[in-house]
Amino acid sequence: MTQPFLSIRKLRKAFGAFTAVHDVTLDIPKGEFLTFLGPSGSGKSTTLYAIAGFQDPTSGDVRLQGKSLLSVPSHKRNIGMVFQRYTLFPHLSVAENVAFPLRVRRRPDTEVKRKVAEMLSLVRLESFAERLPAALSGGQQQRVALARALAYDPPILLMDEPLSALDKKLREEIQAEIRRIHRETGVTILYVTHDQEEALHLSDRIALFRDGRIEQIGTGEDLYLRPATDFVAGFIGNSNFLAAEHLETVGGASTIRLADGALVSGINANGSFAPGQKTRLMIRPEAFRLERSPNNAELAVEIVDVAFYGERRRIVARTSAGQEIDIRPTSSALAAQDVASSRRPVFFDPGAAFLFPA
Amino acid sequence: MLLDYDRLGWLKVALLAFTALVAAFLLLPVVFIVLLSFGSSRWLAFPPPGWTLKWYQELFADPSWIEAALTSARIATMTAILAVTIGLLASFALVRGRFRGREILRGLLLTPMVLPVVVFAIAIYAFFLKLGLGGTTVGFVVAHTVLALPFAIIPIATALEGFDKSIEDAAIVCGASPLQAKLRITLPSIRIGIFSAAIFSFLASWDEVVVAIFMASPTLQTLPVKIWGSLRSDLTPVIAAASSLLVALTLALMIVTALLRRKLQT
Repeated sequence: MTQPFLSIRKLRKAFGAFTAVHDVTLDIPKGEFLTFLGPSGSGKSTTLYAIAGFQDPTSGDVRLQGKSLLSVPSHKRNIGMVFQRYTLFPHLSVAENVAFPLRVRRRPDTEVKRKVAEMLSLVRLESFAERLPAALSGGQQQRVALARALAYDPPILLMDEPLSALDKKLREEIQAEIRRIHRETGVTILYVTHDQEEALHLSDRIALFRDGRIEQIGTGEDLYLRPATDFVAGFIGNSNFLAAEHLETVGGASTIRLADGALVSGINANGSFAPGQKTRLMIRPEAFRLERSPNNAELAVEIVDVAFYGERRRIVARTSAGQEIDIRPTSSALAAQDVASSRRPVFFDPGAAFLFPA
Repeated sequence: MLLDYDRLGWLKVALLAFTALVAAFLLLPVVFIVLLSFGSSRWLAFPPPGWTLKWYQELFADPSWIEAALTSARIATMTAILAVTIGLLASFALVRGRFRGREILRGLLLTPMVLPVVVFAIAIYAFFLKLGLGGTTVGFVVAHTVLALPFAIIPIATALEGFDKSIEDAAIVCGASPLQAKLRITLPSIRIGIFSAAIFSFLASWDEVVVAIFMASPTLQTLPVKIWGSLRSDLTPVIAAASSLLVALTLALMIVTALLRRKLQT
């Protein structure tokens, strides 16, 4: 087996009785953009800080190209990091901020100059070189922080929710910037966020954290289209959960009975279920169709509300069992008055629905 | 806001008048001293019959005054250096440290500010007599450093609290050792606090008289002690001149501080 570039082995971090990270094991190939996604307190930042060397793990190991990093102090790990808060050195100009890691490495002046110019052009802030950080917007400050973190060509770049302080539009702009910089430099990036959209936009792979463990790791598509657990399904994208009774599973396709008595077969089975077991059926809001098509299952609903959301409509409907569900057909699918009729069936492909234990 | 200045109405006039009265009460004696130092009356008569600079000439002609001023400056400078150094280290412990008794330590370091000075003066006098430090420069500086510490710790600790530790962490990830990060990033970032601490602790020593009276010896006198001593032996306008110089230097330092703070903050 080839040696992984960055390897996290059974990493555990306990704070007294509370265990923030439970034996996380993870291999990251060179050049990957991997995102640690999860709610706050799920251990994603703690794992990142252990890699940076600001948290000493209780047990486990972090290895870069086969060598353990744990005995190496933070300032000798040669890792780049962009923080959640603005961390530019307030008394130094933008250029001096970017030069700082090179100056502490005692690189010759000509090299420092060349590298600073190269980095500022990478983040497109050449004309701001002489400004002080206080004269920059939040977005510009984070771009300078990115330039500073990359100035010494670190093998790994850690980013801890770097965009959380920015507004939505700026966030999307800098996400595009980060993607471009990842493409241009090929640096391995570990990115922490609690924003699933951000994770989906940016990452090659996403590790979804829950209570200090990795719930699922895979591409954004894996997590969205093939969620391993109901937590993943609920965290990534929007989802409806319908109460269902499991009847039988044959060849990976399950048959269930919904609360209104309707039978649905051909459901993706996630794990094994006993006959008669209480389960939850997950259906994405956009998986619902308003028109009947072959092999689709049918669900009788009462329309409660229809709202126009631009590219999609958002329909709130109630099942006959009294559960509210969220349906998002494309806006062009039909005109508003067509869906406004209060009772009608909606349709979904059983293959796009997932069964989880209740 | 509960008390909006613009909406006070007639109370505004009353408030202004009261403030002016308090300011006058505090400032007038100083103004009188300065005026008297330029007055020609040997008996400090007011209003002065004429104006003169001869008290200042007398002052500068008397080596004992010059020596007292230099002693004051020397002790205040050493006090400032020591108080800022200790204050800086103490501030890191008080702001960053997580240890039992931190709040007690903070209270202890700030007590010289609330403890009656004379109590401290008598205590340290007795103690230094035993150690043989009474009447020495070292004794002076140590005693004044204790008094000046709160004035050094408060501005430095405040500045350090306002400084995001992530910035220091960022410097460390960039490759600076923890010490390097503090010297090259943290200290320059809190320089306003350090600077204020230096000025305040200099002044705390420069115009301190109670402890100084206990510490002084016939050969080692600070300016306030010399003024105090002269006042008791003979009332001469030279004292007014010396006091005016004391006030002038204090004022100059305060103005420089204000200007520098403004410059550093923009």
